[in-house]
Amino acid sequence: MGTSRNVERRTILKAAGASAAALGLAATAGCGGGSGSGDGTVTIRYSWWGAEERAKKINQTIALFEKKYPKIKVKTDFQTYASFWEKFQTQAAGGNPPDVFQNAVTFLRKYDKRGILLDLKSQVQAGNLSLDHFRAGVTKVGQVDGKQLGVPVGSNTMALVIDKKVFAKAGVEPHEGWTWDDYFKALKTIHDKTKVAGDTGYFAIMYLYDLYLRQNGKAFYTADGLGFDKADLTEWWTDGYNRVKAGLVTDPKVVQQDAPKSSLSAGHGASEFTWDNFTVRYTAEGSSTYGLAPIPTMDGKHTGQYLASLMLSASARTAHPKEVAQFIDFMVHDPEVGKIMGYDRGILASTEQYTAYKPTDPVNKEIAQYEDDTAKAGVLGTITPHPSGADTIEAAFLRIGGDLGQGKTKVADAVKQFFTESEAAFQA
Amino acid sequence: MGPAVTLVKDSLPAAREPRPVAADARRRPGRRRENLAGYLFMSPWIAGFLLLTAGPMVASLYFAFTDYNLFNTPKWVGFDNFTRMFDDPRWQKSVEVTAKYVVIGTPLKLLLALGVALLLAQSRRGQAFYRAAFYAPSLIGASVSVGFVWRSLFSDGAVVDRTQSFFGWHVGGWVGNADWVLYCLVALTVWQFGAPMVIFLAGLKQVPRELYEAAEMDGAGPLRRFWNITLPMISPVLFFNVLLETIHSFQIFGSAYVVSNTQCGPADATLVYTCYLYQQGFKNAQMGFAAAMAWMLLLAVALVTAVLFWSQKKWVHYEEGAR
Repeated sequence: MGTSRNVERRTILKAAGASAAALGLAATAGCGGGSGSGDGTVTIRYSWWGAEERAKKINQTIALFEKKYPKIKVKTDFQTYASFWEKFQTQAAGGNPPDVFQNAVTFLRKYDKRGILLDLKSQVQAGNLSLDHFRAGVTKVGQVDGKQLGVPVGSNTMALVIDKKVFAKAGVEPHEGWTWDDYFKALKTIHDKTKVAGDTGYFAIMYLYDLYLRQNGKAFYTADGLGFDKADLTEWWTDGYNRVKAGLVTDPKVVQQDAPKSSLSAGHGASEFTWDNFTVRYTAEGSSTYGLAPIPTMDGKHTGQYLASLMLSASARTAHPKEVAQFIDFMVHDPEVGKIMGYDRGILASTEQYTAYKPTDPVNKEIAQYEDDTAKAGVLGTITPHPSGADTIEAAFLRIGGDLGQGKTKVADAVKQFFTESEAAFQA
Repeated sequence: MGPAVTLVKDSLPAAREPRPVAADARRRPGRRRENLAGYLFMSPWIAGFLLLTAGPMVASLYFAFTDYNLFNTPKWVGFDNFTRMFDDPRWQKSVEVTAKYVVIGTPLKLLLALGVALLLAQSRRGQAFYRAAFYAPSLIGASVSVGFVWRSLFSDGAVVDRTQSFFGWHVGGWVGNADWVLYCLVALTVWQFGAPMVIFLAGLKQVPRELYEAAEMDGAGPLRRFWNITLPMISPVLFFNVLLETIHSFQIFGSAYVVSNTQCGPADATLVYTCYLYQQGFKNAQMGFAAAMAWMLLLAVALVTAVLFWSQKKWVHYEEGAR
């Protein structure tokens, strides 16, 4: 037994040595890999949120980019909106955010405060990225304290997306300058005539409440806090809850089960307040025809709307700022890219892309028409600030508002909970 | 041979043979080198333990006493995170939801496991097939895809809802209903009774036949035999299962997260403890608070385990000598 044990031991030692070596190798490969390689090819990571539809289009545009810049490879990944930001936050905290990513105004200050976003001004000065030829004013959305933290790919406005078939069946015709009273009456008519709830849950949408507050001379946020008080929200949510009970607004139980689909495209609601470019998604998702209607007003005139935007931002930690800038430049200016993307991320922001893409299908045509009408109506105001924490607050507003509709919490408790969570989010 | 191995050997009755004293003494000079070989052999595991478990645990213990949003330098706040929990209605809700899940789900699962094990303990044709079939859900039940299946099974207008409605009991889908959705998760865990069932089966096989024969002679019926022989004889196995399943239930996350479409709702009805921990840590970037929650969970599970161990004196029966 003695000799055989020795042999065993040697084998064991070898095995242990081999596995230690293997571990070591794996570790080197894992850490030292980097994104450059011998022949000068660099790889950049590009992440965005969206669905399958958008992924297809983006992959086509990346193929175009790689053809023009053969030395730059683009690695992509995408999630749904909420998952995207969860993942992004973790990656950013670990010092490994994607080199370039889709961004929105609610996240600018949060990640600027944390030093994650690259100020693209230096790349503009270096000539790798152009901020010329943008439609009036849209580049401003990406600016914070004099820094250019995002470059818009498309601009959008909040709108009322409607199920045209249901509206027609109920004989309801939305019109410019209609009031909230008109709107809620319309919900009732729709519900009475078609048995479909008129709206999918307006009272839990931060961006809509923002518009409502703006119509009343306030806004959802001030520079460093909430722009409304508990009494305002109590009124807004009490009315909302009563409309759920009356059947005018889709039962949150149903909304919950339709997710990740929207209740509008699932046929459980006749309208939804959201960004105008979402009609592209709903048309792909649902079986009805979807169109856009004006935001209801207090005074028959002011909708409180403003031009928002989806942007591309770069990581301050990227090892390839030049290539990233070239990538953004290509994605926002190249006419072919504009033709592929259409209005998926809003009305194309640069004039090159805007003129290159002429919508032919009814959905994109209607979005173009809507933005045109809104601009002509002269209702577009300037965007009010979105302090750091706005993203968490948006999610809390949606969650607590939705829960309220379930009838499990009293309005007063829900309002209190929202204010507590908001305070924590501003401080985080 | 390390000391750990000897220990295990000693505790196994079958391995109790006289130790070859002389041989032991002869080997002693090489012992240290052998230990080294042993440690080297374990080194991948040890490295993994230190880097992936022990290190993060120490870090998390530190974070639990800090204000940490993933980006800042952690700021020491003492017990603030812990005191904050008790004022937080959502934390209270998450404790309530988890407690409900553990208290309802675990006994149901164990009852079913024991019941089926009793049926399968008797020899019959196709026994191996039945065992495999009942065990299968335990293998796949924790997967994300089953979570999705569950979500669609229990949605409005899906199989469960239609079956219920057929009997005139319409709730419109469990998934969106705050009063029902937790039972959907309970059903999912109960369905995975296969693992404890297999352990019960092993326990049932160990009960000496002659006890039953003797009882039968004395005129004991099946119920009496179960109550007075089977249950006490398998009580150590039952204890093991209760312990394992309770600890396991406290850690529920995946099914709640998937079935609720990552929201742990509606109306926080599936906001299990780990789900809230996740939301605070990774959505709201309150990593200090989340770390404190994790340690609180550890304390709670340790406490429950201690109570269970203390209680075994009252109801767990060990054979003389086997203890």
